[in-house]
This record gives sequence, C-alpha cells and structure tokens, in this order.
Amino acid sequence: MKYPLRLKVNGQEYELEIFPHRTLLEVLRDDLNLTGTKEGCGSGECGACTVLLDGEPINSCLVLALQVNGRTVTTIEGLAPNGELDEVQKAFISQGAIQCGFCTPGMVLAVKGLLNKNPHPTEREIREALTGNLCRCTGYQKIVEAVLSLSGRPTSSPPNSFTER
Amino acid sequence: MEQWQVVGKAVPQIDARERVSGAAEFVSDIKLPGMLYGRILRSPYAHARIRHIDLAQARKLSGVRAVVTAQDTPLIPFGPRSDDWTILAVDKVRFIGDEVAAVAAVDEDTAEEALSLIKVDYEPLPAVFDPLAAMEPGAPLIHQKERNIVAEFKLSKGNLDQAFQESAVVYEAQYYTNQVYQAYLEPMACVVQPDISGRLIFYIPSQIPSMTRITYARALGLPLEKIRVIVPYYGGAFGAKMETNLHLAAAVLAQKTGKPIRMVNPREEDFMAGNPRVPMYIDLKIGAKRDGTLTGKEVKVVGAAGARAVYSMVIVATACYRVDSLYRFPNLRTEGWTVYTNTVPTSCFRGFGNAQMTFALESSLDMIAVQLGLDPAELRIRNGLRTGEVSIHGWKIGSSGLEECIRRATEAASWKEKRAQKRFARGIGLACCNHVSGNRAFAREFDGAGGIVRIGREGKVLVYHGESDMGQGQKTVFAQIVAEELGVPLEWIEVARVDTDVSPFGLGSFATRGTVFGGNGVKAAAADAKRQILEVAAALFETDPQNLEIKEGQIFNKNNPRESQPFTKVVEIGIFKRGGAPFVGTGFWVPDTELPDPVTKYGNISPAYPFACQICEVEVDTETGHVHLLNYIAAHDVGRAINPQTTEGQIHGGVAQGIGWALTENMVLADGKVLNPNFRDYVIPGPLDLPPIKSIMVEPIDPHGPFGAKGIGEPALNPAPAAVANAIYDALGIRFNELPITPEKILEALKKKKVK
Repeated sequence: MKYPLRLKVNGQEYELEIFPHRTLLEVLRDDLNLTGTKEGCGSGECGACTVLLDGEPINSCLVLALQVNGRTVTTIEGLAPNGELDEVQKAFISQGAIQCGFCTPGMVLAVKGLLNKNPHPTEREIREALTGNLCRCTGYQKIVEAVLSLSGRPTSSPPNSFTER
Repeated sequence: MEQWQVVGKAVPQIDARERVSGAAEFVSDIKLPGMLYGRILRSPYAHARIRHIDLAQARKLSGVRAVVTAQDTPLIPFGPRSDDWTILAVDKVRFIGDEVAAVAAVDEDTAEEALSLIKVDYEPLPAVFDPLAAMEPGAPLIHQKERNIVAEFKLSKGNLDQAFQESAVVYEAQYYTNQVYQAYLEPMACVVQPDISGRLIFYIPSQIPSMTRITYARALGLPLEKIRVIVPYYGGAFGAKMETNLHLAAAVLAQKTGKPIRMVNPREEDFMAGNPRVPMYIDLKIGAKRDGTLTGKEVKVVGAAGARAVYSMVIVATACYRVDSLYRFPNLRTEGWTVYTNTVPTSCFRGFGNAQMTFALESSLDMIAVQLGLDPAELRIRNGLRTGEVSIHGWKIGSSGLEECIRRATEAASWKEKRAQKRFARGIGLACCNHVSGNRAFAREFDGAGGIVRIGREGKVLVYHGESDMGQGQKTVFAQIVAEELGVPLEWIEVARVDTDVSPFGLGSFATRGTVFGGNGVKAAAADAKRQILEVAAALFETDPQNLEIKEGQIFNKNNPRESQPFTKVVEIGIFKRGGAPFVGTGFWVPDTELPDPVTKYGNISPAYPFACQICEVEVDTETGHVHLLNYIAAHDVGRAINPQTTEGQIHGGVAQGIGWALTENMVLADGKVLNPNFRDYVIPGPLDLPPIKSIMVEPIDPHGPFGAKGIGEPALNPAPAAVANAIYDALGIRFNELPITPEKILEALKKKKVK
C-alpha cells in the first residue's frame, strides 16, 4: 500500500504516493528524476548519496522517504537553480577537484553542509567533515584545496606543482 | 622554449560543469521508455555442477518479464584472451558469484524477489582457492584441461648462475601481493537497448568500446554491425571496466523482452563478481656487484587467474618482464605461471602486473642497498636506464627522466638529512618504477589511434576518438591538443562521447596509452582539418597555404601578420563552397613499435616509457601498529604535462590507491567467499588517511608523444607500496614482504623482534 509523501526539494513542493520501504535516494532519483544524487554502495558507507536535509548532510540511502515527510531537501541540482554555479562548485572546477565526478555531488553537498555551519574551517576540520564521502580518483587533496580556497585558511599541502614551473 | 597557447596549461576539465552540477548522465542514471530492470542470480558455491534450474515460480511473479539461463544464449565459449567464458553458467559454476540466471522485471525490487524464487539444484564439487595448490597435478580441475594452468611464461638471457657467482651480494626473498578491489565509486552497470532490426545498443562504462564490441558480438553470435557501443559518463574504472558478463546477460534479456534493460551491480555483488587485481606469489633473487651494479635477476611468479583467465596471463607476463627495462639486468631467468582458482576472475588494475612486481623489486633493491652500504637513491641512479638506451628486450628509451625524478624527489624530501636521523619508529623510503605508454602486444592487428575533427559553420570543433574517458581528464587533454594544433581557443572545442557508429575504431584506455596514442590520433586529425581550412584561406589571401598560420582563432599571413581573417569566417566561406558540408579532418598515428618475439620477447613494444620516483615518510605507532604517513613526494617523468592540473590529480589518486594497497586494502577470502564485500570492511583511504602529497613533474620531452608527452595513469600507483614498505623498514628494521602491511602484522613482527 502506498502512502502520501510531501517533500520540498530544491525549493519545489512535491506530493507523491510511495511505498513505505522506498528510500529517499530512490524517490529522488526514480520518482523525481533528480539523478545527480548517486548510489555508490546502498549502505551509507560512501557518501555518494549525500543530500542536505533541512541543511544537514545525510546519506539519503539510509533514510526512508516517508521518514522525511514534510521536510526540505537540497540535492546537487538545487545549488545552481538559475545556471549560476555555487561558489563551492566553482572552486571544485578551478582547483581540479573533479575527476570522474561520481562522488562530486555528494562531496559538494557535504562541503556546503560544513561551510553553512563553519565558514572558515581548518584543513583538519575539512578532512573530518568529509570522512563520510569516499573518493577513489582524486586522493582528496584537490578537494581539500578547493574548500580551503573558500575558507581563507592555510593549507598543509605543498603548492601545486604547476605553479612552480 | 616553445610558447604553447593551451598545451602545458592547467586548464579546468572541459566537462567539469556537467560533472559538478549533477547534469552528467552516468550509465546508472540512464532511463529509457519501457525500460526493465535486470538482476543476476549468482552461485553460492565456489565449484559445483548444476543439476537442474527451476524457473517456473520466478516466471510467475507479477512484474517479471523474462527469466533466462544459459539455454537462452548461443552457448558460444568466448573471452578476451581465452575461450573460457560463457554468458551464463552452462553445466558448472566455478566461483561464488558466477552468473547462473538473469531476470528482467518492471522494477528492481521485483527483480530481486524473482531471484529468490529461482531454484537451482547444485552438486558441490571439490574446490581449490590458492594458485600454488591449484597448479599441482591432482588439484580439482576447473576447466576442461589437464591442469589448472592458463599459461606459462619463460624467459632466459645470458648466464645467470655465473653472474650470481661473480656478485658481491645475492639477495633472495619471497613476496605476496594480495587481491585488491578497484573500488570505483560507480558500480558496474549497463543499459542495453534492442531495436526492431535486432541491433543492440550498449550504453556501457567501457574502457575499450571498440574491442568490447568485438567480444560481445562473438559471445552473442551476432555480426559486428548488430552491436553499437555508446560510452556515457562513468564513475571510475582503474582497469576493471573492460568486458563483463553483466552486460551480456542484460543483452540476452533485451533480446528476450524486446525492451531496454538496465542492470546495476549492488555493491556487494560488485565485490563478488568484479575484476579484482591478480594476486601474485613472487620469488625474487637479485645479484649486485660491490659498487651496486646489478648483475642479474631470477624470478618466479605465480598469479591467480580466478575462475576465468580474462587478461591474467598478460598481467603475469607483464609482471615477469616489464621491470627488465627499468634497470640494466644483463642476465635473467624468469618463470611465470597463471593458474585457475575457484575465486572471482581477476583482471586489470592500475599497474597491470608491473605494480605487483615493482613492490617486490623495489623492496629487494633497498635490501641490496643496505647490504652494500649504499644510498638506495644512488643504487637506482646507477642502474636506471637513460635516454637513448635500448633495454635487454629491445625497448628503445626515447626519453628517461628517471635520474631527474630521483634527484628532485630526494631533494624535496630532505632525503639525506632524514636518513641520517635514524630515529626508531620513524623512517623514510624510496621506490622507483617504469611503465609503458601503450603496449604493442595487446592487439595483434593494430597499434595506433585515429581521430576525426569536424568543424561546422560557427567554427565549433567537435572531436571524435575511439578511446575512453573514465574521469582521468582525457577529453580535456584531447581538446587542448586539438585547440593547439588548430590554433583556436579551447572554448571552441567539444569532445564527443564515444559511439561506435560514429567514432573511429580505437583500442581504448589501458596500458597508460590514452594521452600518447589518442592524443597523437586527434592531433593528426586536427592537422588534416587545418590543412583543408588553410587551402580555403590561401585562395582568400591569394597566397600559398604554407605562408599562413592560425593563432587564437585568427588566420594570418606569416609574412604580413596584419593581414588576417577570423577562422570562423574562413570556415563559413569554405563550407558554403562545398555545398554546406562541414570540414572533416581525419588522421591517425601508428607508432614504430614491434610485436615482441614469442620466444625471446625481444621487440620495442611502446613508443614512450614513463618513469617515476616516490618517497614516503612514516612514523609507526609501536603500541597500535598504526602507520602514520607524514609526508609523500611523487616525482614523475611525464615527457611533457599537457595539463599539469589533471596530471597532478592522477598522481594524487594513484598514490592514494597505492597507499591503500600497502596498508589497509585486502579482499578477505575464506573458501572462495569474499568476507568483506563492502566499504565498511574493505578499507580504502579516506580524507584523514593521506599525507600531503607533493608532486613533481619531470619533463624530458619525449620524441614520440604528442607535444612530447608520455603517460601518467599507472606509474602514479606503481612505486607507492614499496615506498611505504621501504619507509617502514627504515623505521623499524623489519621487512614486510606481504601486502597489506596491517597493524596486526606490524605488532606481531615487533613482538618477534623483541623476543629475539
């Protein structure tokens, strides 16, 4: 039997009818066609499914959609509503923090969640905030650099090799 | 010094916007009208005969549209290098995870439920899991052969016994490089769409779209033109995403239902039935003179293929002899065995056998340095191949930046000072590697790459190639090369996704060949397009085409630079002169490489050989066994970095994977079952686990690579495990020859050392 679900996603109100076992991730991707949020593991280990729930980063694969009835969700698609990229997205691009891009939506939202609470995190704080988001391509260094470029704090990473050339 | 407009610049990836906004459509995002969802029923037994499969209940479940077994397939044995695959198990299952049946249903939940309704009657058979046991006569036979040996590699040069006798030191050790998982963030996935004519469109994350198409056509018993492969965005691969039964099972379901089928591996299944690294036992014996000159090497490698050979015999062969072109080894005796086991088929993972052997070799070389009282860095420099040398197997080293890598890395790491400090539990270690940029032995018929450059009315440039961008930045590098060759801004360039209906035939992205081969291929195509456009311009300028040049989107007369026309204007004039047809430049590049002699292995297999030196500094917590990584330097000979930012990204990623392999990653197998098929228990590095990585790019400018470039992908990983192991040896005086070097192993070894 399906149940009614009211969700505000990226500023848009939705009214749906869904089975109780469906996760928020599934509803976002399959019912609302917001495929920017990814499934990497289905068990809350990788963070590719990270969305903001009332501004807090959560693993949407671990949340039943009906659990968040009436609440507000921000997915990666909600960061650039008029096509103008968010400052986090711009920093990721300019610092080379994206390779395959599969972890990127979750990673960006985890960063948004951090910066919303702590606009000037240290490198340590950034790395701690991102422990729930796995990346296999980048080794995280350029992701951390991207956030530091917004944070205004010093980095422990050596300077980019190409700025030395 | 050349002034390039866009080559050599750290430009952001040209499709970064698509990826960062969530707009990029990955394979697992694709939704087609009428699409059904597929799942595979996998064997719970490592080795068993299939007595009977009962599909009746599964077929009756509401929402199920098809359930298939091997009887619904052409039963053609196939495989990329051997005929030991079938799409679904025919009479036997050979590993836990083997594909037995496949289901298509209206949604994923129904498909999963249908799996539980399929009844399979198995007769378990004795199984064998370790390659050393599996290669013995009398071991349970996995395929119809006399023994479980896939292939044997043998190589001999010079007089090794005499060389060892004349050596000041001969160091012998046994190593084990364990089975690790690529852990790409997007699990294996596909969408296969049938059309009314019987054509199948595969939307697949393929590193080798053209080659995969050939294998899949064969497996499905279809003519090649019935298969179309399209490569969408995909979430990482690192070698794993070549051919897979997942795609073929989906194809069979697509044929059966007449509907598009999407199949995505749940992560647990991806661990069970992916393509992990070939685990190897490596016996290594190396001789050296008093001054550190290496005299010879004896090698025995035994690698586990798993239940299907895939590329494992090529990987073992590579392990056997690629390092022979890193240092001068005048005498060799090498034996390599690739052996079937009742475990998940193993295959390509960044490094491709060279990574495994590099761990062993670089560990042994450090011990030789210790025994001779030599600086490990100087030992490498003394023996490393230099520009212009030809190795014992005929590999022509067009450029070698190895010495510069070692010098700059040791300087950046404060190598001499740190080594002199001699603090217990704190250490610094170094390791080097070589690699290829492409490998002639991979495809007998063709070694090269082609490109197509299409230029339309507004001057928009569309580049077609046959390789594969898995996130490493290939599209951007191709765009930079084309922009540079044509003389137009990078913003005008778009790189089309690979579609075998349109793209040139390509071998694909493996063996670190993308930049050199694909780059040269699109460069040749751009040169052809430029030539055609300059012919039109020449008429306009009333001069010879060779007097014209293109820069920043302007065509000008070299003899009178003020005489210029916009590129777009000339293109428009030219297009209308040709009845509206766009400019289409085609080109290809075939290197002067050689297929190695089947017996002697002699032959220059690659156009360009990258080198590297990595240095790791550690502090070991002797209470917990935990290894803290304090610092990491990675110096890479890349010929020329077309894009220093993406190159650096590759270095960081490769080092991270190497560190994971060295310290925490292990597929734990018990009787063929993967006990840790998840990211909780299979630990890949997270943001708190990695030290700051300093990357140094050494650019000797290779004579064969596009704009002098060589590859980076695999060399980024190769030295890391040995760099870590050598640092741990420097810290504790304990050698760890088995990966991963876990806290448990360290504590156990420290205990033993104390007792002594």
